[in-house]
This record gives sequence, C-alpha cells and structure tokens, in this order.
Amino acid sequence: MKLNVDGLLVYFPYDYIYPEQFSYMLELKRALDAKGHCLLEMPSGTGKTTTLLSLIVAYMKAHPLDLTKLVYCSRTVPEIEKVMEELRKLMNYYEKEMGMEQNILGLALSSRKNLCIHPSVSKEREGKVVDGRCYSLTASFVRARHAADDAVPICEFYEGFDAHGKEFPLPPGVYNLDDLKEYGQMKRWCPYFLARHTITHANIVVYSYHYLLDPKIAEVVSKEISKTSVVVFDEAHNIDNVCIDSMSVKITKRLLDKCSNSITILETTISNMKENDSKRLEKEYKRLVEGLRDATIARETDMALVNPVLPSEILEEAVPGTIRTAEHFVAFLKRVVEYIKTRLRVQHVVQESPAGFLRDIHTKVCIDRKPLRFSAERLASLIRTLEISDLTDFSPLVTVSHFATLVSTYTKGFTIIIEPFEDRAPTVSNPILYFSCLDSSIAIKPVFNRFQTVVITSGTLSPLDMYPKILDFHPVIMTSFTMTLARPCILPMIVSKGNDQVAMSSRYETREDTAVIRNYGNLLVEVAAAVPDGIVCFFTSYLYLETIVSSWYDQGIIDQLQRHKLLFIETQDAAETSLALINYIKACDNGRGAVLLSVARGKVSEGIDFDHHLGRAVLMFGIPYVYTQSRILRARLEYLRDQFQIKENDFLTFDAMRHAAQCLGRCMRGKTDYGIMILADKRFSRADKRSKLPKWIQEHLKDTNCNLSTEECVQICKRWLRQMAQPFSREDQLGISLLTLEQLQSEEMQKKIQQRAQGV
Amino acid sequence: MADEDETKEYRWESGYEKTWEAIKEDDDGLLESNVADLVARAKRKRAALKDTGAIQLGMMRHLFVVVDASACMFLQDLKPTRFLCVLKLLEVFVHEFFDLNPISQLGILTTKMKRSEQITVLAGNQKKHIEALQQLKDLSCEGEPSLQNSLERAMNGLKNMPAYSSREILVLFGSLTTCDPGDIQKTIKSLKDNNIRVSIIGLAAEVRICQEIAKKTGGTYNVLIDDHHLKELILNQVQPPAVAGSMEASLVKMGFPGGSPIVNDGTSDSSADHAPAYCLCHIESETSSLMGPNGYNCPQCGSRYCELPVECKQCGLTLVSAPHLARSYHHLFPIKPFIERAQVRETTHCFACAKLFVEAETNVYECENCNQIVCLDCDLFIRETLHTCPGCASDPVTAQMKTN
Repeated sequence: MKLNVDGLLVYFPYDYIYPEQFSYMLELKRALDAKGHCLLEMPSGTGKTTTLLSLIVAYMKAHPLDLTKLVYCSRTVPEIEKVMEELRKLMNYYEKEMGMEQNILGLALSSRKNLCIHPSVSKEREGKVVDGRCYSLTASFVRARHAADDAVPICEFYEGFDAHGKEFPLPPGVYNLDDLKEYGQMKRWCPYFLARHTITHANIVVYSYHYLLDPKIAEVVSKEISKTSVVVFDEAHNIDNVCIDSMSVKITKRLLDKCSNSITILETTISNMKENDSKRLEKEYKRLVEGLRDATIARETDMALVNPVLPSEILEEAVPGTIRTAEHFVAFLKRVVEYIKTRLRVQHVVQESPAGFLRDIHTKVCIDRKPLRFSAERLASLIRTLEISDLTDFSPLVTVSHFATLVSTYTKGFTIIIEPFEDRAPTVSNPILYFSCLDSSIAIKPVFNRFQTVVITSGTLSPLDMYPKILDFHPVIMTSFTMTLARPCILPMIVSKGNDQVAMSSRYETREDTAVIRNYGNLLVEVAAAVPDGIVCFFTSYLYLETIVSSWYDQGIIDQLQRHKLLFIETQDAAETSLALINYIKACDNGRGAVLLSVARGKVSEGIDFDHHLGRAVLMFGIPYVYTQSRILRARLEYLRDQFQIKENDFLTFDAMRHAAQCLGRCMRGKTDYGIMILADKRFSRADKRSKLPKWIQEHLKDTNCNLSTEECVQICKRWLRQMAQPFSREDQLGISLLTLEQLQSEEMQKKIQQRAQGV
Repeated sequence: MADEDETKEYRWESGYEKTWEAIKEDDDGLLESNVADLVARAKRKRAALKDTGAIQLGMMRHLFVVVDASACMFLQDLKPTRFLCVLKLLEVFVHEFFDLNPISQLGILTTKMKRSEQITVLAGNQKKHIEALQQLKDLSCEGEPSLQNSLERAMNGLKNMPAYSSREILVLFGSLTTCDPGDIQKTIKSLKDNNIRVSIIGLAAEVRICQEIAKKTGGTYNVLIDDHHLKELILNQVQPPAVAGSMEASLVKMGFPGGSPIVNDGTSDSSADHAPAYCLCHIESETSSLMGPNGYNCPQCGSRYCELPVECKQCGLTLVSAPHLARSYHHLFPIKPFIERAQVRETTHCFACAKLFVEAETNVYECENCNQIVCLDCDLFIRETLHTCPGCASDPVTAQMKTN
C-alpha cells in the first residue's frame, strides 16, 4: 500500500500495517530530516526491517541528493539474508506499482568464506584459511610472478573481474550472497571483489557490523562510503561490546611462542633475499623514507594486513629510522616479543595504563613510543616486500604488532591487565595479557562523525538514555515503541518466593542455599507440568548452571522434571550445544516437550529464536549480572564512572537488564506468537530493575504479577494458556493491531498514533 | 455428597477463580446489559458455528473416542477431577451421538502408562458404552499417555471399515506430553492415507503436535476454557462432519426388522418370529435371559435382537428402523440460519413461544423463508433440537414446497 508519512510517499509492500510501524516511520523520517542520529526501540516480530527499508528507500527516491546510500549493518549471515529478502519484496512492489524497472542497486557483502566460488578454495571451512589462500592467489606480486611464469597458480575469477568487471557496473537489482555467486559464476568474475568494488556505487549495502566498526576492516572496505549515507545498526543492543571487542587484544603465551617462530621465518627470508635480490629491500627502504602514505596506497588485494585506526597525521610522517631496514625491524619485533614474554612471567596480577607500559618498555628494552606506533604498518610493508603469500602463519605476529600500535597510540580509554592464572584454576599457570578497550565510543566515533544519520535499533534497547552516554553521541530522536496487540500475548511475571515462602534470588549470599535451589527446581517442575511443548531457562552463568543442576540431581528434581519433559543443557562447546538444540526442536515438534537450560549471554540467548511452540515459556533464574570480579570489567566501570559519570551500579543493572530482556524476547517473535516470561528473582520487582525492562514488556507486567509465589504463578499460567489456545484469526487483529490503508487513514487512528508519538 | 468430599479438594485449595474479571460495568455503572449481552453473544456464537450449505455429510460414522487416563487426569481444575468430569460429559456425548447419528458406531479407548487400552469395540449399542464409561470411573490414572499408540490402535480398528463411512477419532487429551515409541509423523501420514479424521480436545493448553495432527487429518483442535466450554466442545462433535475430499458414494444394504410384537397378522412364520429366543446382544453375558416375543429379527438370518440399531452378529447386516434413518435425514437439509436484526416495531412477540419482546433483548431473528420472527431462545431451540422452522411448517405453501 502507499502511505503518506508526514508528506513523504512511502511504498509499503504489504496490504496491512501495524500501527507501531507507522509511528516508527514518522520518527525515522524526522531523524532523516534533521540529519541527526537516532535510537529506536521496537519489539521483535513487528517488522522493523521492512519498515526501515521502505521508509529509507522512499526517502532516497524523494531526496536523491540529500540521501544517497543506505548502509544496513546486521549481525549474522542469516540476518543479512533476511534483510535482502525484505528488500527484494519491496523492490518487486515498487516495480509492480510504478510499472518500470527501478534504478536501485542493493547488495549484501560477507566474508570471502561465504562468497568464494574458486573450486578448491571455497571448500575450506575456516574463514582465516580461505582469506589466506585467496591472498596467495590474488596478491599483486603473485600475479606479477604469474605473468613471468605460468606455473604460478592464480585465481581465474579474480583475473576475470580485474580484466572486465571494473568497467561494467552491476546492473540495478537486489543481490543477496547467492545471487552474487551466481552472477559471478555466469560472468566468471570473483563475487567477493565484485561486491567490494560495487559498494562504492550501490544504493543499499547490507553487511556485518565489523565492516564498519572494526577499524582494521573498515579502513579497507568502508572508507569510500559517502557522507550523505544513512547507517543502520540492527539488533544493536550489544553495540558497545562489539566496539570494545574490535579494539581489544588478548595475548597468550602460546601466541607469543608462535610469534617467535614467525620471526625466525622472517629472518631467514630476509637473509635469503639479501643474497638474491637485495635491490628490493633497498627500494622498500627508500619508500619508507618518503613516508608511509604512498606505500599504503592500497593495492586492494593486499588488504589482509592493515593498521588499526591511526590518526592520519602519523601516516604522513616517515617511518622512524630505527625500524626502516628489514633486519632492524625484525630485531625490534623480537625485542618486543621477548619483552612481553618477560612481562607474562608474573606471579600476581598486574594492571597498568598504556603510559606505564610505555615507560616500562622504554627503561627495560629501550624501545621508544614512536617506532612502536609504526609497527603494524611496518610489518605489513615487510610482508609485502618479502612476498610471503601464506599469511595464516603470521596472524599471531600481526596481533602483536596491532597491540604495539594501539598501546602507543591511545593513552586514554585503555588498560593493560596481566593475569598469571585464571581465577577458577589458581594453580594452573596460564598467563594472559589483556589489552582492553574501556571506552566503546572510540571505535564508533568515526562512524558518528562521518555519516549524517546513524540509526541504532533493536528489540531491546531499554533504558534508552544509557546508549548515548556510553557511545558518546547526541541523538535527535530517542523513542521506544510498544506493541499493539489484539490479545495479551505475552505474560511477564516476577516470581519472588517458593511455595514455602523462602525468597528466591541469585544474590551471591543466597545462591548456594539449598532452599533457594530447591525452590528454583520446584518452580521449573511446576511450570513444566503446566506449559506445553518447549521451555527455555536462562541461568546467570555456566558455573551457576552446573552447581544448580548437580544439586537438582541430589534433590530428585531432575527425575521429576523428566517425567514431564526431556532436558537439554547448553554447554560451552558449540558443537555440543547445536546438537542439543537440534534434539530440543525435535522433542518439541513431536509432542514430547522439552526444557532447555542455557546461559544468559551464551549463544542461545543471543542468536536463536524460539518462536511459537519452541518457546512457550522463558524462565530467567536470577539476574544476569556480568561476572563482577573480572578485572577488565572493574577497570571499565571505573573508567565509566570517571569519564561519563555513570555509577557502577547503574551500569551493571543496565547491562544485566538488557541481557535479561534479550533472553525474555527469545520466545516472542511475532504477533500471532505467545509466550510466558517468568523472572525468578526477588530483586526484579524493585523499581530500578523493573523500570529498565523494555516498554513493551513493562506494559504487560501488572503490579499484581510482581510478587508471586510459585503456586500463584502456575495458576496464572494455566488460565492464560487456555485463553491463548482459543482460535485467533487475522480478523481478530484487524483494526486493532493490524491496519488496512483505510483504517490507517481514519481520523481516530491518526489521532491515536499522534498521541503515541507524543507520549514517548 | 459425602463421597464427593473424598475426591474433591476444598474450595480454598483450588485455583483462584476471578469470576468478577469477566464482568465489566457499562457507562451507567450497571452490569445488567453487559451480562445479557455476554450471554447472548455466547449463545449466538455456538449457533453460528454450524454452517449450512449443500455439502456431503458423512452420515454413517465410525468414531473412536480416546480418553487420556494419564497422571495429569487426576488434576482438579475440572471438578471433581478432570477424568471424572470428562467421563460424565462423555456419557452425555454418547447419548447425543446415537440420538443424532443412529446408524453410526462408536468405540472407546484409553491411554496411560505409554500404552493404549481398548475399553469397548466399535459398536452401535449405546447402553454398552455408557456402562463401560461408568465402570471406567474406578480406573486409576497414572503414567504418561501415548498419542501414537492410541492413534495406531484406533486406526487398526477403523482401517477396515467400508469406504462410504466417515472414519473419525476424537481424542480427549489432558496431558501436555506424549510418550511415543516411534515417529509420530508416519502415523499422521497413514491416518491421512486412510482418510481418518482426528479431532482433539485439549484440557490444558495448546500442544503443537495435536494442532498438527488435527490440521493434517482435517479434524479440529480446541482447548477448553472451563467445564461448560468443554461440554460445548464435546457436543460440537455430535454433528456429522462434512466429507473431506471424495468419499465413495454407494448403496448400503440395510435390514429393517419388521414385526413389532403387537402386530400379529396370523401368518404361519410369524409364530416362529415371536417364539421365545435368546437375544444375541446379551447371549455372552451371564445374566442373559430368555426373551419373550418382544424383539427384532434380522430379516436375513432371523437372529433376535432386543434393540436397534445393531449390526447383526450372525450375518453382518446393519439393522435399523425407519425412524432412525429419518432422524439422520435432517442433517442433510439443515434449516438456513435465521437473520439477526434489530427489533421491529410491528411484531411484539415471538412467533414460536409467544413471549413478549422486552427492552433488554435487542436482537430478534427472522426466518428467510417465512419471514416469521422468533426470539433468541427459540432460535437456538429450533436450530439445535427441532431442526424445522415452525413458521415454515405451519404455512401450508412453504410446507408443501419443502416436501416436494
């Protein structure tokens, strides 16, 4: 249908629209008009993606000069595919309505692993191996060597793309990963490089967060995206962690050992080259004197090694003399690695600032800050010069060089923590150096600065005001939408005590208490007896899950549970977990029913949807606070307190509640779906926790359901489940939670939507 | 009521029943209009369920009723327990079923401890089934049910029934889980292949597999809200379902045992007909006694039965009486639903019961054919019991047309 959103003609590819989708469009349009950033929360299953796409495409069509490009960042490959599907639907609708081909090019980009069509390389399973082998076939020097000697293998697809692909742009249309591969097969062009080349002139680009947030990749992939773009981060509730991870480095002892090996390889290669081809090394030396900028005019295929974010003025400078010659640089690297090795030889935990680290490295091994800064660049240059085509072996060394560059570039917002052993196993020596980013705004800052509109959206962003603080930006629009429902299809409840009136809580003091564990067990057993099909439980940590399950065995609760449903447990092993998931789904499908015990922040809580019968109930045992004893976390909390005036407790609660909300949201994937959400901890009913739940959950959380005992909870569940099982058709939704064009245009509805927009 | 106290829990032990939540005040703060509205709506909804239209109905039904007897049937959310409540309603159902479908047959299965047990075989004798149901009351409910086992068992019983009959299974399922020996999808597929329709009534919550079974086999799946709703759901199954796909139409041989005992025309074989004989239905039971001259003789083999309809044990002929067939007849020509309309000035009373229309009842119902107006209660009575419109029947012109 065609909508009028605040004066903008929007083509919406469906016959019906949810009222909140319309409100979402209104807000989004305002943000685009203001050329500012915005933060929008809308529950999952209400068609966020299609709403975003149809409004932004309409805006691009109406104002082709103000808005040229949409960059849509999603988390996983299946999610990217879903976005492309929605986009295709939208474009088909445009074509049908306007009766002509649309001049819009939409494109998905993923790693080489997902796009490679080379007959043998594409068989590799590991992303790194694919990257490495691709590099060994497409690097400029390999191709140069091929020109001289036919025996040197190259990739015919890349050659095809290089010869013809750059002149012929991709015809307009929507290309998901498979389409790209197909197109590549047809033309004999490499789909990966084709996609990367096309990014610069495509109207809509869909890819993973990392292409924009990880400075190492963003530099190469996303550098040329114009300023007049809108960037969307979908499912962005964890965006601060993604930012932090992309800037953090972890160095273990094994990694350092591998580094030493790589250095030896470098040494021998250099000495060989000196004998055979000393000119090349000289040439490199001269180039380095002239400055790095020229050296890094990227031959795009050499992208495997790039530097982390460096202020560009550094790149203009010449590489310092101490590391200009190859031997010197290798010796320098050796010194750095040895130094880190000695640092790892500690008996107690060390925490220091980058500045302290720099001072120490200067006094101990006489290394200045400046050469450290250049180490990533210099290593990249060296590897290029030496024409080493197999990069997989060098990744540890690259990690160390990144660390060296980062530690000497940023003195603020980072910390170095060296732990001689893990907290859990204090006798086993396993030294690790964490170079941890504390400030999530560092990685995302360039994005906010460069693009005119950045949209951060997810099903669970509450409390909204935290994100602008920790990401350090100023949104023009900040809105949370609720879900209009024709029937109350979520049932959130806070269960605070067992039938014996003992309070349930995962507080540190009471978590080992057998009464609490028993009450948790009884709650699960009773819920399992009353709720059909699948139930998903979340615990606060793997450790807690293990202790609880073992005491449930002793208390006989596991036996009782298995009388009603089968039991599956998530473990840290990904293969084991996916096997458990497959069987869980099977058990739900054939009516046996199943309970899945998993961990908040685990794989299950983030990526897997339990729609309809797969998740009729979600139980949250305890508040999923992050492991507060972790030194990295404590350093971050301190930093947040000092820099952004965020109280430690506020941040911890915020983080716990967003993960709790994320877990709860697993069971609700659309308006025809229904699910019970049980929060089993006394502390959830406190105002500071409750108010941090997303609005769409809070709305259904009645005061009477905030302090229930197990028995009361089960009674409510039973009644509610019977209500929900009554036939429910589209007609019941029409006019309330689902609107036709006429209904949307009716005055009454417009008024309601206006009210809602103002209410928030 | 003394014996009931033993099984029934105290009122304060049972669940919270917030009966007041269903009632809302209207603008004047009154409840009356609201309640009336609620009642009327509920009644109408039930009536609306029964569609009309020229569809082929499976009149000759073979139905297996599967009763869940697993541990969860001892729960007391239906009073006194789920199991007793279901049995009681089933008695009503069996009665109604044979009343409306006299030429059909019914069998009863239970499922518990992962197994399935046959309580009665497919038969057309309602007394036997009701007796069996009454005996079931002492059965202990334990273990888990098995949907697959009971469906397989019912399927084995139904598979060999003639193609012109409608094969159905009705499952009353209290459990939320099923413990099956194999892949239930295969069972669903063979049910489908055998044209067996499975309808399920859930007693607790929506279970996906039940939904799937019902959907794939063309049956219905409902979940109760309370015991009244359960009764409604069970009784909805009394109506013969429309035939799914193509059911083979064929002529069925039936026997009409003549010889009402009063009529005695003095012919020579009549004395043989009415000679004292054992009734074949009861011949196996200990209490069988010699029957007098009453009873029905199979016209094919001459065996004596005390009750109709029945399938002759000797020669397999279906024995019915003419009124039985006539009673099934109305399913084929249901009356058209009456039109709901606002009260009209001219008519002040119901045509059927002559009750005066009062203000509280806003809607009246009009027959499409004879344009007579009746009240809500009469509308339901006509639809559910009478199966003929009094207006049309009393009008000589329309009555004539109908018989033509």
